[in-house]
Amino acid sequence: MKLLWAVSALLLSCWRADASTAANIVANPPEVSNQTYAVLTCNLTDNLAIKGSYWVHNGKIIEDSKSTDTSPYITHTLEKITHTSGGKYECVFLTEPQVNQTIEVKTLPHVYAYKHSEHGNEKDKGVLVCMSHGYPLPTNWNWYKGDDEDQEPIINGTSDKYEIRSTPNKTTLTINDLSIENDIGDYICSGTNELGTNKDKIHLRVRSRLAALWPFLGIVAEVIILVTIIFIYEKRRKPDEVNDGMYTMKSNSTANHKDKNVRQRNSN
Amino acid sequence: MPPAAATNLGYTPPDGGWGWAVVFGAFISIGFSYAFPKSLTIYFKEIQEYFSVSYSEIAWVSSVMLASMYAGGPVSSILVNRYGSRPVVLVGGLMVSGAMVLASFGTTIIHLYLCIGVIGGFGLAFNLQPALTIIGTYFQVKRPLANGLAMTGSPVVLSTLAPLNQFLFDSFGWRGSFLILGSIVLNCCVAGALMRPVNKSAQPKPKTEPPLCNGAAAEEDAAADTGAQSDNLLTEENQSENKSQGHIRKFIDLSLFRHRGFLIYLTGNVVMFFGFFAPVVFLAPYAKHLGFDEYSAAFLLSIFALVDMFIRPATGLLGNTKWIRPRIQYFFSFAVSYNGLCHLMCPLAHGYIGLVVYAVFFGLAFGMVSALLFEVLMDLVGAHRFSSAVGLVTIIECGPVLLGPPISGALVDVFGDYKYMYYACGVFMLAPGIFFFIMHYYNYKRLDEEQRQTVALEMRTSEEAVELKMSPDDKIAHETDG
Repeated sequence: MKLLWAVSALLLSCWRADASTAANIVANPPEVSNQTYAVLTCNLTDNLAIKGSYWVHNGKIIEDSKSTDTSPYITHTLEKITHTSGGKYECVFLTEPQVNQTIEVKTLPHVYAYKHSEHGNEKDKGVLVCMSHGYPLPTNWNWYKGDDEDQEPIINGTSDKYEIRSTPNKTTLTINDLSIENDIGDYICSGTNELGTNKDKIHLRVRSRLAALWPFLGIVAEVIILVTIIFIYEKRRKPDEVNDGMYTMKSNSTANHKDKNVRQRNSN
Repeated sequence: MPPAAATNLGYTPPDGGWGWAVVFGAFISIGFSYAFPKSLTIYFKEIQEYFSVSYSEIAWVSSVMLASMYAGGPVSSILVNRYGSRPVVLVGGLMVSGAMVLASFGTTIIHLYLCIGVIGGFGLAFNLQPALTIIGTYFQVKRPLANGLAMTGSPVVLSTLAPLNQFLFDSFGWRGSFLILGSIVLNCCVAGALMRPVNKSAQPKPKTEPPLCNGAAAEEDAAADTGAQSDNLLTEENQSENKSQGHIRKFIDLSLFRHRGFLIYLTGNVVMFFGFFAPVVFLAPYAKHLGFDEYSAAFLLSIFALVDMFIRPATGLLGNTKWIRPRIQYFFSFAVSYNGLCHLMCPLAHGYIGLVVYAVFFGLAFGMVSALLFEVLMDLVGAHRFSSAVGLVTIIECGPVLLGPPISGALVDVFGDYKYMYYACGVFMLAPGIFFFIMHYYNYKRLDEEQRQTVALEMRTSEEAVELKMSPDDKIAHETDG
């Protein structure tokens, strides 16, 4: 009985092994789901000459994991599994030819809003964006309008008002013709992958068309008042200066050629 | 300037009083002219996404605005020569304000090019030229100080507008912000209202002091055809001379191209402007390239702006002292060369402290050159022809100013290293600096000679005038009627 189990396990592990390798690597655990701590191990069961090994995370070699140890059994510890440390891990043995095995570390999707507070102008359009990191990426995106208690799903294509465009790592909700009464409030984006769902909230504020008008009018009024004050001040001072000139002229004027010259000189 | 030049102006500039209010008005006008195009870049990212255009297309708005501002120089000069500073600044303020309000309703990017770029740029040109010109009419003795104070407007308004624009953008979005900016720019009209035309009925003072500086006095004497060479003491003749030359100066004074000092200034400046603005543009990117984070890079710019703000009035004050005023062209040449040296030494700066030191020295250099830039032009051509001169200078400088940063950018892209760009900018500034030193040495010598000649001529004509005065009165009356 035990022999039967061993043979079937061996067959299963062969079937699971990478098609490109004839070698057998036993990866334990084969998959990590929803755990906060895991130790990934790889055991090379074939008798190949091992020159070293290393681990790869999402296509990038983990520098610290490089070793020249010839042991066929290598481990990699994940202390705290979050969406950044999730993904595809590969253990690679430096043999002729190289062999590797993949272990998938799956986490809940990390859903976050591009901006938690968005602004839109009345009658204009508002764009709300949510993004996601992690592995695996959400396969399904949903948008809801309302608070945590009272939520209404927004369905794509039912009206011209809402448009939802989604890719695995980004979703965009476009609200057309914003109105101050109806569209202000919280919007929730939720992304679902095979492990579960995560969501984030965005608060939408709609500015009135006339919001900028009041400061504009205020400053224009201030400018007009200042310009008027300056011109009035000048008009009140100018007659004094003109009078000074005239007094000088009057005191010099007689019906004389000589005085006409003096006047000419003063006006210079 | 000595009272000798004041006699040629036909009146004594107040050198104070309402002049300080005019300096404040010029401060605002110049501040908006230089700082406004730079501060609009905060909105570009949002507008770029809104209209779905590329980055280079949105950057064109800034370029068109700057190009219009420089190209509008001669138009502005002609209008100032004809109508005086005040109406032109008022119209300019209204134009920029209207442009921003129209832009806030814009539906395409072409709309923005036309409104902000063309109309806004011309409006700013109508602000810049008259503001510079009117300082020359109000100040003679304290003119470098007045110029330095007025040019401080640029960094002060920029430091105010930058955070304000960010706040407006967060609160109102780009359309609302453009509307409100339209009203803020309307304050240029307040500045224009302050620019009261100077009272020219003041009596000219007799020539008792020896000339403090050469420059415009000797130049105008040498260049003027009739009036200056004879009967200078008889103010009747002076009046007719001003009238005939006034007709030419009503439009634009193209005889400036035969003016030695003007040509020196123009040649040097054209080369200098290739390397003047680029280091400012690339200061933050260079810091980021060396590995410093965004906030440290932005802090460098703040240090630069702060030093710039304080050094401009200080330079004005320094330029006013009796040691420097007569030879202010050498001071300007020194400032330009110092700028060049700063850039050549920049690649040697190590670490963040090195960059901070560079930012401080660069702020010093930039502020010095900016404060003196128009003062030396006024010193060379005189207040009468300054408005035409500055119009011609800005339109010719248009090319280097627009081409400078892209060329530097290309240097950085080709070599992948910022140091070649700094070497290039250093050379672009050091060469004109040395050129200025040599040419102004030669120029001052020639001016001293001409001054001696005209003094000798005046001594002769004053003897003749004494003889003339003894002749009958009706002969003089005849001349005044003519």
